[in-house]
Amino acid sequence: MALATAPAVETITPPPLSAAEVKDHLSLIADMTLVFSASHSFDAVAKSALERVAKYVGAEASSFFMLDDQGQALVCTACYGPVDITGLRLPSTAGIVGRCVQSQEARIVRDVRKDADFGAVVDAKTGFVTKSILVAPLSVGRERLGAIEVINKNIGDNLFSESDLALLHTLSRAAALAIHNLRLTDKLVEQERERHELELAAEIQRDLLPQASPKEFPIHGINVPARAVSGDFYDILQRPDGRIWFNIADVSGKGMNAALLMAKTSSLFRCLAKSAEHPGQLLNAINNELCETNSHGMFVTMVGGLFDPTSGIVRLTNAGHEPPLLFDIMRESFMSIPADAPPLGIATGIAGPDGFPVIDVDLKGGSLYVFTDGLTEATTFGGGMLGLDGVRALIRDHAEESPDLRLKHIAGAVKLPGKPLRDDLTLIVVEDNGVRTDPPKPPGVPFDSTTGVILRVRVPGQADRLKLIRNAVTQAASFCSCDEAWTLDLVMAVDEACQNIIRHAYGGVEGAGDIVADFVRDGDSLSVFLMDFAPPVDPGKIKSRDINDVRPGGLGVHLIKSVTDDARFLPPPPGVGNLFKLTKRLPPKVDC
Amino acid sequence: MTFEVKDINGTTVVALTGDVDLQSSPAVRQQLLECLDKHKRLVVDLGAVSYIDSSGVASLVEAFQVSRKRAAYFALASVSPAAMRVLSLARLDKVFTIHADVNAAAAAQG
Repeated sequence: MALATAPAVETITPPPLSAAEVKDHLSLIADMTLVFSASHSFDAVAKSALERVAKYVGAEASSFFMLDDQGQALVCTACYGPVDITGLRLPSTAGIVGRCVQSQEARIVRDVRKDADFGAVVDAKTGFVTKSILVAPLSVGRERLGAIEVINKNIGDNLFSESDLALLHTLSRAAALAIHNLRLTDKLVEQERERHELELAAEIQRDLLPQASPKEFPIHGINVPARAVSGDFYDILQRPDGRIWFNIADVSGKGMNAALLMAKTSSLFRCLAKSAEHPGQLLNAINNELCETNSHGMFVTMVGGLFDPTSGIVRLTNAGHEPPLLFDIMRESFMSIPADAPPLGIATGIAGPDGFPVIDVDLKGGSLYVFTDGLTEATTFGGGMLGLDGVRALIRDHAEESPDLRLKHIAGAVKLPGKPLRDDLTLIVVEDNGVRTDPPKPPGVPFDSTTGVILRVRVPGQADRLKLIRNAVTQAASFCSCDEAWTLDLVMAVDEACQNIIRHAYGGVEGAGDIVADFVRDGDSLSVFLMDFAPPVDPGKIKSRDINDVRPGGLGVHLIKSVTDDARFLPPPPGVGNLFKLTKRLPPKVDC
Repeated sequence: MTFEVKDINGTTVVALTGDVDLQSSPAVRQQLLECLDKHKRLVVDLGAVSYIDSSGVASLVEAFQVSRKRAAYFALASVSPAAMRVLSLARLDKVFTIHADVNAAAAAQG
């Protein structure tokens, strides 16, 4: 109950306290400050603190109201008194407590009925009758945490005194500081936990990268993450036939979400590479899988390649990635290989029937560098971006070093001491030693006995001579004691390849040029070198189609691939338009 | 390559002999399409085919597609091993109706 003469609202200007008051107050404040600071959980001591304060000033009830994380609501986190209002939520501006939080002023309200801000909602709900309120803000610096309320003084004259208000204000500061410190501690613990989790994630991620390659291995890679975890990755995977899959990829974005997509994509690569024939097919399959589940607008740029160390040829598909650089150490020249497929994970149905476009790059003894934009966009000692010219200069500068050392030095050149990288940096190099264990036999050069030549035929490139070529295949196969079924398959492959020469290279024009076919016994295989004298054909334009699509035409390449062990264009020697080589392993126990 | 056209109980049978390749397949294609213009039932006898290439297979596929459009009957009969090898590589052995011999093909309903 408040006296009619008392002012309804008073703003604190603490009056001088008596010596006895100071002494009593000090002992309580010292006591409470100790309790707050020694506690690991504010909520645990809040209730008993509220009880002590209420009893000390002779009040009926008391409560802590804390701002929620959004600062939108005040929530009662602890209370003392006849009714339990713990968990009660009020808008952050509601009532006398809301006014205190907003204004950051401690106040005495001696008669709540005369205070326009008093909300009787709580009383209506609980049946409690609020008469007078003492309220002080909880804040540290400019940070508002909430407020502490003491309600209904019921000793003496039943009026809260200035001395009560000064005490509450002091205690509220000690409490606020304690809450603030505990929150900071919680944050530090949480940060430490996250750091530990990141470390574990980074460790797992490092395990996803391939082991360091042996010195003499043709492909080497390096990955330097900008943060604990990386959105980049690379992989190297040797096939049983000696050819080597490799890839390098950059996931859009950084941090944990990029790292998770990286883990998924690298697993897809490893898994799908085992059944893919060429990188265009492989990257298309990865794209389809990513599109099925990737819904956060993230995507992956990737270069996938299949390197044949015996021929020095890399079959390459570039899905929206930085163009790889082919370095010719003899000429000190670079060739850039641009992207011709879109990044992965954006849309399906964009690839042709045989997947994404594939380009065959003959390394000719050179080195192919594939890297992420973490290298080109890295900051150099001078402060600028490294750029492609900078990358070329670094490659040139370190060209004489061993591949693993070279990669370390190139990556080290842009990793400034004590400064994190701007982006993850990944770099691989594919080295061609230039030694051809399976060199194409150049036509025009007489074959000697060691090359194993069986037969050479030269016929005009027209349809009515195909039978002669088929006969030649049969004769060569018969010479190698091959059975009928084996022979039919090779006949078919050579016939289809010659049809492509007649129809595509010579454009179906009779008398446009000849076809030369060399049949060569090549270890345990029979190879057929087909040469024409037409302008070079873009191998990408002669493609297999989806075999499930029943329509006339487009079957030839599928048949060739189905029945041979290898079929590919080779760089033609001077004077020859196109050189196509088909290889088929001889049936077992055959003696030429 | 030669071909012979005969009629077995209302079914037109085209029997191909020899190599069906880039040189001969245009004639095969023309012959099959002409037969489908005139007749509702066509059987191609591949028993004497020593070799068939992708262009020959394309002629068969085209005739097959025309026959479906016109609801005509189209089947292959007594397919030689050489021809069967190509059809199975092209996965067309599951697409075409294939009978062991010409008489069975001519007698089949479809």
